[in-house]
Amino acid sequence: MSGPTSQSLTGLEPLAESIAKPSRRSPASPVVMSWIVLLVSILYFGLPLVGTLIFSLRAQPFGEAYKMMVSDGQLFKDLGYSFVIAIITVLVSIGLLVPTAFWVRLRLPRLRPIIEFITLLPFVIPPIVLVYGLLSTFSGPPLALTGSNLGSDALLVCAYVVLSFPYMYRSIDAGLRVIDIRTLTEACQSLGAGWFTVLWRVILPNLRVAILSGAFLTLAIVVGEFTVAIFLARPMFATYLQLISQTQAYESAAVALMSFAITWAAMGVISLIGRGRQEKIIAGVH
Amino acid sequence: MTSSFSKPRLLTIGATVALLVAACGGGGASTAPTVAPTAAATEAPSAAASAPASAAAGGPAAWVPDPTLLTAAKAEGGLTTIALPPTWCDYQDLLSGFTSATGIQINNLNPDGSSQSELDAITANKANKGPAAPDVVDVGLAYGPKGVAAGLFAPYKVAGWNDIPDSAKDANGYWYGDYYGVMSFEVNTSVITTLPQDWSDLLNEPANSVALAGDPTGSNQAVSAVWAAGIGTGGSLDNAQPGLDFFKQLNDKKIFVPVIAKSATVASGETPIVLAWTYNALADRDQLNGNPPVTVVVPKSGKLGGMYVQAISAYAPHPNSAKLWMEWLYSDQGQNVWLKGYCNPIRYDAMVKAGTVDPTLAAKLPDSSGAALPTLDQITKANTVITTGWPTTVGVTVH
Amino acid sequence: MTQTAQIGDARTAPQPGRRRFSGTVLGVAPFLLFAVLFLVLPTAYLFVGSLQTSTGQLTLDNFAHLTQPYTIAAYEASLEISLVTAILGGLFGFLLAYATIAGGLPKPIRGAIMTFSGVASNFAGGPLALAFIFTIGRAGFLTVFLRAIGLDPYGAGFTIYSKIGLEIVYLYFQLPLMVLIIAPAIDGLKKEWREASENLGASNVQYWRRVALPILLPSLLGSVILLFGNAFGAQATAFFLTGGFIPLVTILIGSQLSGDALGDKNLGYALAIGMVAIMGVTLVAYSYLTRLAERWQR
Repeated sequence: MSGPTSQSLTGLEPLAESIAKPSRRSPASPVVMSWIVLLVSILYFGLPLVGTLIFSLRAQPFGEAYKMMVSDGQLFKDLGYSFVIAIITVLVSIGLLVPTAFWVRLRLPRLRPIIEFITLLPFVIPPIVLVYGLLSTFSGPPLALTGSNLGSDALLVCAYVVLSFPYMYRSIDAGLRVIDIRTLTEACQSLGAGWFTVLWRVILPNLRVAILSGAFLTLAIVVGEFTVAIFLARPMFATYLQLISQTQAYESAAVALMSFAITWAAMGVISLIGRGRQEKIIAGVH
Repeated sequence: MTSSFSKPRLLTIGATVALLVAACGGGGASTAPTVAPTAAATEAPSAAASAPASAAAGGPAAWVPDPTLLTAAKAEGGLTTIALPPTWCDYQDLLSGFTSATGIQINNLNPDGSSQSELDAITANKANKGPAAPDVVDVGLAYGPKGVAAGLFAPYKVAGWNDIPDSAKDANGYWYGDYYGVMSFEVNTSVITTLPQDWSDLLNEPANSVALAGDPTGSNQAVSAVWAAGIGTGGSLDNAQPGLDFFKQLNDKKIFVPVIAKSATVASGETPIVLAWTYNALADRDQLNGNPPVTVVVPKSGKLGGMYVQAISAYAPHPNSAKLWMEWLYSDQGQNVWLKGYCNPIRYDAMVKAGTVDPTLAAKLPDSSGAALPTLDQITKANTVITTGWPTTVGVTVH
Repeated sequence: MTQTAQIGDARTAPQPGRRRFSGTVLGVAPFLLFAVLFLVLPTAYLFVGSLQTSTGQLTLDNFAHLTQPYTIAAYEASLEISLVTAILGGLFGFLLAYATIAGGLPKPIRGAIMTFSGVASNFAGGPLALAFIFTIGRAGFLTVFLRAIGLDPYGAGFTIYSKIGLEIVYLYFQLPLMVLIIAPAIDGLKKEWREASENLGASNVQYWRRVALPILLPSLLGSVILLFGNAFGAQATAFFLTGGFIPLVTILIGSQLSGDALGDKNLGYALAIGMVAIMGVTLVAYSYLTRLAERWQR
């Protein structure tokens, strides 16, 4: 993708600022209440993880369940593969859904219910139905993808992009709702910007929070997804976890906990990268 | 296809060959002498679980692959198996043993898959010669004829074909029985100190203590447990209803835990008694290795056997490797690996006669004497009764 | 890349107001093409299969089966659990999101909550069921602790293997999903609006009723719909926790489609079509409500 020239942006930035600067600080509200909500949430979300930790530590000798973390190379290989697939999925999903959601909001509001129905279909179609369908559709001519590893990887990514639809579309749509895209777009176009410029330099930066939300969700689905991976015979991490959980009681708890932590850390990294990129693009806005 | 199973009859697992042959001749006896190993299924020596494959397959003769078949198989560049859990019947050693004997790499898909998912994988991959298409399957007995009817299997007869009882194989070689286990109690003895010896004992266990290893509306192992409970409490191979009644009692007394039990729930004490096939229960016991201590009990009555069958996919991307895999599984060495995984291999009786069974492994096999092996018709009938009756008889109470 | 080209084409389309429909539709063509290829085509056999017997004859029996009491009970249980966890998850998720984004908490907490929500929203299936079993199961550490201090939840009739237990577990992924989905909307609440309403003498309640809520309402509705769908389609968690005991539709479908005991696939397909239909009805209701809400917003 070749970005637009910087000339096309002249005069745009202050405009974007005045129209769509997202507010970071918020009006004073009872901070005490916020702390209470936070602490209750920490208890609710923390205790089951503590339960898992306690169980994993029952393995004898102490810490045995975590030994395989260092000894089993397969774990990190599969985890690495999962993250690569996840990142590609996130990028494809953003590339597909941001223009779509933008266009639907701007020009095709009547199509919105239909598009939304399509994006919610992955919830109600059992994954097993989807994967058998993908296998039958893409295992022969004219669309043979399953014959090679690369083709299977591509099919896996496409399946995950489909599974990301509900989360990604909803996040982006919620983000678009709160920025005035019509005014922004018309302002940009009156300044001579093309559609690509509008999307890449104005809409995308304003959707940062929304896209990050969708990206986190997509990343987590892909790292945790099991059915599609196993039937396309891809060495995803979830497949590995499944195998462990079936046979090794303590190790499965340990691996589940570690994968939770690793995925969390990965999202932290993405979040930092996302912020860095954003600041570069609309430097001067903040 | 199913005509040989049409007459309901009770088969005694112990003397498989004699009995099955007799049964197929039209007789329905149940008093044949027992030749099954009789070692009690108590705690295993701790070393049992960790023996390497080569040492485990210590039967008299190591398997030598047929050179012509081996050459053809090697040219295909791999073998794709499906739904072979590593600890199930010690498949991990069968997989690695095959690779070390032939040099052919194995891609094992969906290790936790069900029989249905295996057939579905063949169907979905008919046109696919890639990594997602399975070459061979290991499915529940009922799925043998089902796969043939759908045209999913290719016929093949292994070298030891004649050792497989006629009623446990398709006459044309489309599918063939491989091993069986018996329904048993897997008991965490740090929670349950007095071992239940029979089904009726389960009714006196503490609250929230008995669980199934699957969902009785979808899992063959769970259906079999319900069925076995019925046989042990007044039912029979032809009458599965008492099993549902038994579980209703367990549930009313709040003894039943409606969770899918796993090794982890046994270990945590959440499901101190789990009903599972002997080989799964014993594999769990070895895996937990005394932390906590687990004992596997074969109940005194209602001993129900469950058989699985092997078949080669009609659309196998690697048909010669598939044949070679079958030869390995049914070789003396392969059969002994199944034995090591606490499964009763199908050629067991013939191997006892020939003296090719590893005696130390045979001694560890749970006592399955007197266990009944249902016919296909009985399986289909009981399946229907239990899967449709479970929700209405047992599972209706939703709190 | 094709989408860039098509959007480029659309640039030459007439100004907004004088729309040429065909050109405008091109803007969503890449999405529709993708959806047809990887979602609609592969799952089309679901629709065909639901109208067939196992031997391929045309039949309506599978749909007739949907009216059986047990199947209806399954749809009811699925709907109830999805609705309860969507509303509770939506409520608590909104509270947590608002507290972290606009509640005056230290800034680093926001990043931690957002990323944590990403992980937790997809923590499901076996690991999630086990985590709760280890915690509030009969032998869970919290249960044991409570029993030791004289509060026995199981003595009081609680069990994790119940609808309530399942709902508690579902909130573990529902609540964080709400946090992530609603965050952009909360982020979009402008400080100036609050200041303006305060300057005009509005109370806190008035600000919420007249300003914040109307703006947030479409997003809130949309998020709750998403949570509903998320719970409605969930299978693995309920399956591991209460295997076959709480008859959710997804569990019925699972045992028909991929069970080990002899299932009826075509019936499974019909059950899935039933879910698609319910989702469709839900969306029609949702788009009607959204339109009302957006009118209110203006």
